[in-house]
Amino acid sequence: MRLQFVLTEVLQGLRRNLSMVISVVLVTFVSLTFVGAAALLQTQVTKLKGDWYDLVEVSVFLCPDGSTAPTCADGEATEEQIAGLENVIDTELSDVVATTYFESKADAFEAFAQLYPDGYQGTQLTEDDMQASFRLKLVDPEQYQVVDDVLEGRAGVEVVEDQREVFEPLFLALGRASLLAAGLAGVMLLAAVLLITTTIRLSAVSRRRETGIMRLVGASNLFVQLPFMLEGAIAALVGALLAVGGLWLAVQYLVTDWLQDSVDWVAYVDVGDVLLIAPLLIGIAVLLAVVSSVVTLNRYTRV
Amino acid sequence: MIRFENVSKVYARGARPALDDVSVDVSRGEFVFLVGASGSGKSTFLRLVLREERPTGGTVYVAGRDLSRLSSWKVPSLRRSIGVVFQDFRLLPGKTVYENVAFALQVIGKPRHTIRTTVPEVLEMVGLDGKEKRLPHELSGGEQQRVAIARAFVNRPQILLADEPTGNLDPTTSLGIMRLLDRINRTGTTVVMATHDDEIVNEMRKRVVELSTGSVVRDEVDAVYGERESILPQVGQTPVLDAPGRGARAVQRVQVSPEPADLEAERAAEAAAERAAAQEPEPVEAAVVRPTAPEPAGASADDVVQQVLREHERVRAGREA
Repeated sequence: MRLQFVLTEVLQGLRRNLSMVISVVLVTFVSLTFVGAAALLQTQVTKLKGDWYDLVEVSVFLCPDGSTAPTCADGEATEEQIAGLENVIDTELSDVVATTYFESKADAFEAFAQLYPDGYQGTQLTEDDMQASFRLKLVDPEQYQVVDDVLEGRAGVEVVEDQREVFEPLFLALGRASLLAAGLAGVMLLAAVLLITTTIRLSAVSRRRETGIMRLVGASNLFVQLPFMLEGAIAALVGALLAVGGLWLAVQYLVTDWLQDSVDWVAYVDVGDVLLIAPLLIGIAVLLAVVSSVVTLNRYTRV
Repeated sequence: MIRFENVSKVYARGARPALDDVSVDVSRGEFVFLVGASGSGKSTFLRLVLREERPTGGTVYVAGRDLSRLSSWKVPSLRRSIGVVFQDFRLLPGKTVYENVAFALQVIGKPRHTIRTTVPEVLEMVGLDGKEKRLPHELSGGEQQRVAIARAFVNRPQILLADEPTGNLDPTTSLGIMRLLDRINRTGTTVVMATHDDEIVNEMRKRVVELSTGSVVRDEVDAVYGERESILPQVGQTPVLDAPGRGARAVQRVQVSPEPADLEAERAAEAAAERAAAQEPEPVEAAVVRPTAPEPAGASADDVVQQVLREHERVRAGREA
């Protein structure tokens, strides 16, 4: 009985303010699409980091001949310095470093020759142009700073380089894009809250007579307010479902079917990720509706 | 049932109080008229009983509850024990008679089968049997007020508040409504009615509480409305009230014929009451309640209405003949 009655009221309310309800749906749809896009970009960044950070190493370049770095004042790194550094890595950095690989000048030249068999940009290089280095694979690539703190400035070390720096511009761009999406989402969410508030208020005012009688005959607060809350929640929920649908289509057709085909060596977000963020979007929508209805209804349908 | 202890109500800071140190005690099953000029505090009194307002000073007790201590989530339960009727009926225009009455039960979560049995019962009682499917605008004023009373009474409240229920109705229809309220009162329901209708008050001879600028100036049983002339300032003849340029004021009563539907409804309600009386000769609740509400000395509303109806029939018969 109660449920049926409440649902009838809700349907009536939705029909009465159809244009407002549609605008709520659209605004929620757009704002949640932005929220979802931001979340997907973050997922993409995490995926890339997970994939690529497994490959990156920290390179500890040793002093070559004729380096101008202050730690290389004594000339090329000696055997003793190399052994000393290896010892430091094994003891002080044992928690951070997973594997250590020493690349001698000969190794480096070999790798170089393999990569550029015809010389680099027209110059033929020799083994002496190469630089010896330690290649450290870290347990957690984010802990580069620890390695840098320990090794930088030691005698025989010219420079400590983090290969992650290569990816930084890309991650920066993706990060800023997701920030932008989140910012737009924030503005749109504000618009959505205001719009839901107005819609509920309109609905409440247009049904003043009913709510007045409900209060007089002793209907509980919840019973009076529930239809309005549900109205807002349903509109927001439809918006959220549209947003999920939109993101699903975008990921399916733009990323999986198109981007994956043209650039296939990158791990992309897929529809599974969209389904993962779907509960988040729906949750935000419902929260939005509930918060705005509670605020409005306390002012317009108080007992 | 309703007790006001030194109740004051000031709406705006610095303004004249709407109620000023009012103490009134209405016992269970009583019928009380609340009279007084516009702005004397009658509506404020009713709003305080409903806890639509809180008193600025003093305490209001309703049905054993101290309203100043009643938390706001218990207000609905208080209001379920009070029925309210207004001058402007306040029916939902889009709902039928049946739906209007059922609405009051639906919104407090009564089960469907209860609604299906109670609503026709109460509609029969107010004399609207067979008009369940009408919309409010298809009914006469008296019938609309009957629907409003049915809605107020369908949950069998202990208290019925009426704020000028006859203010929009012609005298005969008003009497029909009064008769209905009296019948409801006889079932043990406490009735408090704010009114300006001196004829009704004078004919019913019930307890009268008169308010003036927020204070109780009179509280009598078996009382009358009070003299109009003594309330109005003595200004002699006025062109508004009396025909200009004429000599003495000629009092001529206007004969108003109520709508046939209202008379019909009253007859139906009476028939329903008789049927109910025939079914259970000595109603249990009435037997319990009567001692606390002594039979008023004057003529009962039933007698008065009966008389008016007979009179009306005679006039009509004479006209036709």
